[in-house]
Amino acid sequence: MRPIATLLTALAIVAASGAIAQETVETPPPPVVDPVAGLAAWSKINAVFAHPRCAGCHVEDDQPRWSGDHYGGTRVHAFNVRRGEDGSGFGNPGLRCTTCHFESNSSVLHGPPGAPNWHLAPAQMAWWDKSSAQICAQIKDPERNGGRTLEEVAVHVRDDALVAWGWAPGPGREPAPGSAEATFQALQDWITAGSPCPQD
Amino acid sequence: MRLSVDGKAVEIEADPDMPLLWALRDLAGITGPKFGCGIAACGACTVLIDGIPVRSCSLPVGQALGEITTIEGISTGGKLHPVQQAWLDEQVAQCGYCQAGQIMSAVALLDEIADPTDADIDNAMGGNLCRCGTYPRIRAAIHKAAALKQAGA
Repeated sequence: MRPIATLLTALAIVAASGAIAQETVETPPPPVVDPVAGLAAWSKINAVFAHPRCAGCHVEDDQPRWSGDHYGGTRVHAFNVRRGEDGSGFGNPGLRCTTCHFESNSSVLHGPPGAPNWHLAPAQMAWWDKSSAQICAQIKDPERNGGRTLEEVAVHVRDDALVAWGWAPGPGREPAPGSAEATFQALQDWITAGSPCPQD
Repeated sequence: MRLSVDGKAVEIEADPDMPLLWALRDLAGITGPKFGCGIAACGACTVLIDGIPVRSCSLPVGQALGEITTIEGISTGGKLHPVQQAWLDEQVAQCGYCQAGQIMSAVALLDEIADPTDADIDNAMGGNLCRCGTYPRIRAAIHKAAALKQAGA
């Protein structure tokens, strides 16, 4: 038994040292191979991320925003709607996001928009009112992008039903520019180019 | 289509896009929930689905999955729900039109927070509007209902 125990101990030490090495060695960012193409792609991405249909629910505080020409300026969501005392982004007892926002858009003008899983983005994923450079840096930071790789960000943008609402927001609301697929492609182009960020 | 409303199965023939409120009032004869704005902006039509308040004027009936509870289903055995009793005790209603929705949101709040603070009440009730301005009495009644409920009323 002793040789086996020794071997297991040795393996455990090797595994542990590997884990420590993973934690302490920082992976250098991939080189920017094509800044012109990369920044052009980022411009398309930022136009989507910073658009009111997307940014309005990526807020640092606990109140979603209504903005865009059809709202006559920026305002906080009516009805004292809040992120929720539990921080979940799904509202408070007695007034959840899903109290009014269902699986699909209301067909009535000024009726509530809807998509599955309606909620505020986590507070650490906030980019409401931030610059293109700030949003870009945030998207590259897993601490502030929901713990995603850039590939996962692209897939999230392409496949998430709530994100998809931004391009089909219901009657009377300006949709985000382009489409989910076009934004996914722009993200792929940006990643391929080395994911450069603007200086602002 | 079959709905479960106030503990009973209700059979209706309806387009799945019909608002739940229409189905309740016009097809099922449950007129407690009221039509106010039709765009989920006033709360008069509030009912609960599996305990979560929803604006039935805007929810397609085809999405009304789960147990629906209306103002007509919260009293039991001829005894008023504590929120209804508190509403009477505090004489909350003026014209009364919004009160069915107000009460349903208050029921949902107290089901999750037994002894809500004023801030909890503000967070829960902000989507229920009252043109008569009965808000101070609504707040008082929710505090009273919390006490009644905790006392087992």
